[in-house]
Amino acid sequence: MPITDLLSDLGVMPLRAIAFQSVLLLVAIVLEAIVLRQRLKLGYQPSMQYAATLNLLATSLGWLGFLSLEALLPLAVRRQVISYVLFNRLYPNPWMESLPILAVGLAIAAFFITYWVKLGGLLGLLWLLDRQPPETETAPLPTTRMARYEMARRRQLVPQRTESSLALAVLQANALSFTVILLLLLLHNAVRAS
Amino acid sequence: MNWLVNWVRQTLSFIKDVILPDKFFAWETVLYLSLFSWLMSLLARWLGAQDFTVWLMTTLSWMFLALGIGWALQANKVKLFGIPLAPWVAGGIVCIFLFSPWGEGWFRPALVAWPLVSFLLVAIPALVSWDLKLKKPLPPVRQQLVLLFLLSLLVSSWFQFYFRIQSWLQAYPSLAADNLDQSNFVYRIPGPAPTLSAGVTHLTIAQTMVTEQLDGKPWSWVERWLLNLDGHRQVMQDEIKDEMQTHSSLENDLWQLDFQPYTDGDGYKLQLWAIWLGPTADRKGYYLEKTCQIMPVSQSPTYDPSLPLVDPTGIAGTVWAAVDCPMEIRRLAGHPRGTQNRV
Repeated sequence: MPITDLLSDLGVMPLRAIAFQSVLLLVAIVLEAIVLRQRLKLGYQPSMQYAATLNLLATSLGWLGFLSLEALLPLAVRRQVISYVLFNRLYPNPWMESLPILAVGLAIAAFFITYWVKLGGLLGLLWLLDRQPPETETAPLPTTRMARYEMARRRQLVPQRTESSLALAVLQANALSFTVILLLLLLHNAVRAS
Repeated sequence: MNWLVNWVRQTLSFIKDVILPDKFFAWETVLYLSLFSWLMSLLARWLGAQDFTVWLMTTLSWMFLALGIGWALQANKVKLFGIPLAPWVAGGIVCIFLFSPWGEGWFRPALVAWPLVSFLLVAIPALVSWDLKLKKPLPPVRQQLVLLFLLSLLVSSWFQFYFRIQSWLQAYPSLAADNLDQSNFVYRIPGPAPTLSAGVTHLTIAQTMVTEQLDGKPWSWVERWLLNLDGHRQVMQDEIKDEMQTHSSLENDLWQLDFQPYTDGDGYKLQLWAIWLGPTADRKGYYLEKTCQIMPVSQSPTYDPSLPLVDPTGIAGTVWAAVDCPMEIRRLAGHPRGTQNRV
């Protein structure tokens, strides 16, 4: 009798988490698309698609990480996680003092891990779409002064998609989206507290 | 006679139009194949054929059903909020078929796998050609597939998170009775009020113990019992721990039993407390309280001559104890011992 089981089980659903996550994902995707578009001189559609792919990748991996780590945590920490998810607060147990510090550390770690995941994701995506970032060209050095000048001029016009420029673009995009999301969360908490 | 023949002919052709598809390479054909395989599986079961035959027929019938319904939705371009429904419905049917033989609790893996199976149903036609060779779709299609895969992974994670919350609430039933309005993650579907938390069980056990130890005993026994409060408190906590072992739950060690007597007229008022030490919506925590009246009466309510008389001198004027515990249980915020720190 799956239907009756389902109805009686439904009870508490993570609807708020889904709603928040959808909104924050949209914000992050739009912001990162703007950065990627400016930095990498991409078109409108590809920059949106890249940003969506990278953020969905980071989010899905984050969920998988949370779901598997949560099962491995010691009982006292699991209870704090449950308390935070259900009641938005920690409860008095031996971990109460150290968890906020740990959470800040985790958030900083999360920034660098998502950066790494997004950069790897972007490289993988470019490879998958046959748009490999061009290797730094080892063109023979031009001999005449005029040719060298020509080349320097062209370098500025032709969009460069070397790995280092990709890395910089992703770092900037990630920093922007993290900052805005953090501000949004702080704002949300301030509004709820008042 | 002629009109009858005509009528029969018309009816037959109408039935044919409704039942038979225009082309044979159409979704109706596949659905008929599904129905046919299902009937065959029934027939095979009825004839007592080998398990393998029945399994084969059932599997074929499910596969044709998924394919046919998916095809029908695709052909008629059924969409919900601009999303084609076909892969999701077909994926759902495949999941029901794959996981329902698992028996009890098959629904969880089925729901978690559903988005991923639906993604596969979209991806396989794009990645595998008709002669079962891998093919490489165009870059825009690859981009779409990557996005779709990540999206289905996210939806699957949400389902997993939902089931994780359910398992938390099963492990700690008292949490479900608390107020979840402050959460940034979960929302309780409005419905019947959740049952009172497991602390009630602790209070009931404690009440039974108090009644057994004091009810119908001579009053002096009660006075002496009250002198050794700390000892009884310890014994009672240990016994409740033993008793709760039978229906062991992770939250047992988050409940603490305590009690305190107060003088009340001629007798005593014994307050029993089950104190919740776990996560709560209220910063101060909460406890459940039950009050028992212990009153002196002149006639023993459960007079038992075999009972050892504690007070042999006052046989005539012996005063007995009557314990009365009303059903009422109150849920109060904070800690019954006031400023005492929660552990």
